[in-house]
Amino acid sequence: MSERIEVHHVTRVEGHGNIVVEISDGQLKECRFDVIETPRFFEAMLRGRPYQEASHITSRICGICATGHATTSLRATEKALGVELSEQTKLLRKLTFHGEMLDSHVLHTYMLVAPDFLGVGSVIPLATTHREVVLRALRMKKLAGDICATVTGRHTHPIAMTVGGFTYFPKVSELKALRQRLVASRADVKATVELFASLPWPMFKRDTEYISLSKPDEYAFIDGEILSSDGDRLPIEDYQKVTNEYLVEHSSAKFTRHNRKSYMVGALARFNNNFEQLHPTAKEAAQTLGIKPKETNTFLNSAAQVVEIVHCVEDAINIIDQLLERGISPEKPAPVKLKNSNGVGACEVPRGILFHHYWIGEDGKLTGANCIIPTNQNIANLEEDMRAFVPQILDKSVDEIRLSLEMLVRAYDPCISCSVHVLKIEDRV
Amino acid sequence: MENLKTQCKETTLILGIGNPLLGDDGVGMRAVEILAEKELPPNIKIEQVGTPGWGLPAWLEGWSSVILVDAVQMGQTPGTWRRFSPDEIRLITHRDPLSLHQSDLASGLALAEALEMLPDQITFYGIEPACLDPGNDLSPVVRSGLPGLIDCILKDIRKE
Repeated sequence: MSERIEVHHVTRVEGHGNIVVEISDGQLKECRFDVIETPRFFEAMLRGRPYQEASHITSRICGICATGHATTSLRATEKALGVELSEQTKLLRKLTFHGEMLDSHVLHTYMLVAPDFLGVGSVIPLATTHREVVLRALRMKKLAGDICATVTGRHTHPIAMTVGGFTYFPKVSELKALRQRLVASRADVKATVELFASLPWPMFKRDTEYISLSKPDEYAFIDGEILSSDGDRLPIEDYQKVTNEYLVEHSSAKFTRHNRKSYMVGALARFNNNFEQLHPTAKEAAQTLGIKPKETNTFLNSAAQVVEIVHCVEDAINIIDQLLERGISPEKPAPVKLKNSNGVGACEVPRGILFHHYWIGEDGKLTGANCIIPTNQNIANLEEDMRAFVPQILDKSVDEIRLSLEMLVRAYDPCISCSVHVLKIEDRV
Repeated sequence: MENLKTQCKETTLILGIGNPLLGDDGVGMRAVEILAEKELPPNIKIEQVGTPGWGLPAWLEGWSSVILVDAVQMGQTPGTWRRFSPDEIRLITHRDPLSLHQSDLASGLALAEALEMLPDQITFYGIEPACLDPGNDLSPVVRSGLPGLIDCILKDIRKE
């Protein structure tokens, strides 16, 4: 008996990818995840542009993690141009970064993952069957977006963040209002942990290499060193020794590998590598959710995102307290030193470690750029997971295998593209 | 929340929708930008919301009347604009969205409806786009449709 499972355009992921699995006489013959997006040439677009524009251009790589791309871009430029940031700039960047992390994690866990477990096909029927769950998600998402808007001028594609600092500063009253809403959101955060702790996560363990940023003094999101769960530690400038990008025939996205055949990045990798630095309330949430490092069930990447929701809410409150205690002072962006130079920026964006590497000429124009996004780094690992997972579920029906594989893909929260949002209508007749 | 609703009862929210980096998809955003420079009656609020997708219900909450301005594929000549109510049309939504990027306006409205968060009155102003390729500019034919559309919105809200 031979079965071929093809899922064209896996639903509820960002962009387009196909699952191809072929089973013959109870043996797995073929197993691939095809990325079928066309390349978008952002690196080529950056060549010849003034360094001040780079963060605004690369922010458009993604409408979900725009702040992540903009921050990583700014760090690459700032490293190249020898810019030293003020404490206030670092705090404001961390605060808006938390806003986007919350927005993305709420969107993924509630809108994309939860429907699989609550027996509905998407978030729209979920709104009827579990109205309170969807309203809670929208409340949390709105708060997350408002954090970004308060600090950087709008929900998506930050405008106030610039090389060396900010061009706009939130008012004390705005920060106080945000703090109040964050404190009030603790009830929603608690309900989120309880909801996801009650979900029947598929059992699937496969040890892999987990790669994330790491910092001595905090749960790393911006800057740090590259840390592998296999024990290696590298400066971010050596990112290419970790990513080792290569091409495969069936994917328009490049694959990566380090110590093993593949590695995983994202919330689960951060959780495994940096658990000790999570906020105590987030550690408690991990206990409620039943995960502890080293967790090797890929499906629990979504649970690790819930842990990070708790961490980001608590840490955002701490950051606002620090800002209120220091007072907000309008500062000029830190000065740049123009010369022929290059710099690497690295951040932990919602889906994992992101690298931007820029080469800048003495006229301030970019002469080259390299951006390596988290989803690329995860695809080889996703395929290894599929190869290990399919033999464990061969006794299920084809439909069940298909759904299980779709859920596995969604667990990675893959982000493959951005597209047009035009409305289409027809007349009622 | 109830207070908020009472307070906003006599007001109209105008939302500009679309992606201004994709040519004529940005026409809704541009239209409300022009509107914001006009002399408007009190209790009118204008927001450029871009591509809110499933976030749309949060924008609608508490408003009794909402005007949505967007590029709409209606099968008409590019630049043609039309005013319509939800009863007059069927939104073509992606029944099974392929990605978050297809959580479009129709999905946002469907979610708002499922959550019983739709305002009492919704009015669409749609312009038929000519070109949705990457770029900041509107095509001339779409730009030439804007003054008529804006006059009509102004008449609408001044009457209210």
